[in-house]
Amino acid sequence: MNTFLNNKTNRLWFILITAMMVFNVWNVIMNTPMVPEQHWAQKIFYVHVPSAWVGFLSYFVVMIAGIMYFIKKDDQWDDVGLAAAELGTVFMALVLITGPIWATPIWGQPWIWEPRLTTTLILFLIYIGYFMMRSFGGHVERVKRYAAALGIIAFVDVPIIFVSVKFWTPEIQSHPQVEMAQQPSGILTPFLLSLGIFTLMYVLMLKYRIHVIRINNRISADV
Amino acid sequence: MFFTLLKKELFVEFRSREVTLSMLVFGLSIILTFAFSSNVSPVIIANYAPGMFWIMVLFVAVIGVHRSFSYEKEFDAFSMLISAPIDRGFIFLSKWISGFIFLTIMEVLIIIPFFKFLMIDFPSQPWVAMGTTLLINCAIMAIASLVSGIAMRARLSEVLLPILLFPLVSPVIIAATKISGSIMAGDPYIFWQIWLLIVLTVIVIFGLVGYTLFDFITEE
Repeated sequence: MNTFLNNKTNRLWFILITAMMVFNVWNVIMNTPMVPEQHWAQKIFYVHVPSAWVGFLSYFVVMIAGIMYFIKKDDQWDDVGLAAAELGTVFMALVLITGPIWATPIWGQPWIWEPRLTTTLILFLIYIGYFMMRSFGGHVERVKRYAAALGIIAFVDVPIIFVSVKFWTPEIQSHPQVEMAQQPSGILTPFLLSLGIFTLMYVLMLKYRIHVIRINNRISADV
Repeated sequence: MFFTLLKKELFVEFRSREVTLSMLVFGLSIILTFAFSSNVSPVIIANYAPGMFWIMVLFVAVIGVHRSFSYEKEFDAFSMLISAPIDRGFIFLSKWISGFIFLTIMEVLIIIPFFKFLMIDFPSQPWVAMGTTLLINCAIMAIASLVSGIAMRARLSEVLLPILLFPLVSPVIIAATKISGSIMAGDPYIFWQIWLLIVLTVIVIFGLVGYTLFDFITEE
């Protein structure tokens, strides 16, 4: 059986990214400065923001895969779309967990309808519907088309959702990371490093999920 | 061809009155529920009336759009429709515009019971309220028709439709509530201009996306 890690390049990337992630966690805990008002709570942003970035990137990949599926009529793009949707939802769930963990000590409550978190929640719910469609939709070929369309619609809706939620609650403060570029280098450099490592990890995870989905499809076809 | 399809939608409805009648009765039931749940307290109602109205419209739109697409499944009419040599984007447009007309008819019939049962004063700028309501109906039905086109032929379509629609339509519901709330309060246009722009953006984007995607969604 050809497993994912039998491939030398995959194995190399897996070891490299695991080592980088271990270094990243160590670096965030040990080397990044404490922000006076936030203390340890601020450190979650080295995970929270990269998770949000990777989640939105993944949903962007779902949209591109959807467009390509319609153009090329190739099931391989459906595999890419499904894998990216799964990963995007996992990272969005991580954002929805880490956001309230940060907010509880800082804002005094876990949820205050902050625009970006609210947009993430709405998108997360859309994708729960996407997976229900995938699971209970019936006819396999039709469901692939519907999923591709839904991936496109969901991403097109993101800016509209964000703008509407932002104006809906203008009094609610945004995350302090809005001016991330203006942060001191002690925070900015490890943050960018974490962002890069999360992105690399995402690419490898995407490759792995596509590999697993294709094996599943082959087994289903054989049965 | 678009007008032929639209005529078909309107003829079917005016003969059976299934969609508008079920929307109307469901809308009245929701008003009754709102009245009971709020004890018709003037303080609660005044604050929540715009939200209540648009929640009712959203629920009613789900019923309408589901019925509008599901009768096509009888005798496999939809397969015959999409096998006809026509631009399938027009099928979306005809469903969208007919849905908009049915929703507007329902609102015209239900608006007086809504204000009277809940004991709310009519807005001071009725023409502005009507104009914005028409635009909001158009935006809701653009998304609802597209999502219904996706969910219609899936299994469990009646469950999938609201699950997919409600989060997607949330920007329109926020905008609708803000616009109606501002008009009821007599706020000047500048206060709710941004919400109108959001509604117009939804109409344009979902109109174009729906027209383009419908061809792919309905492929056999």
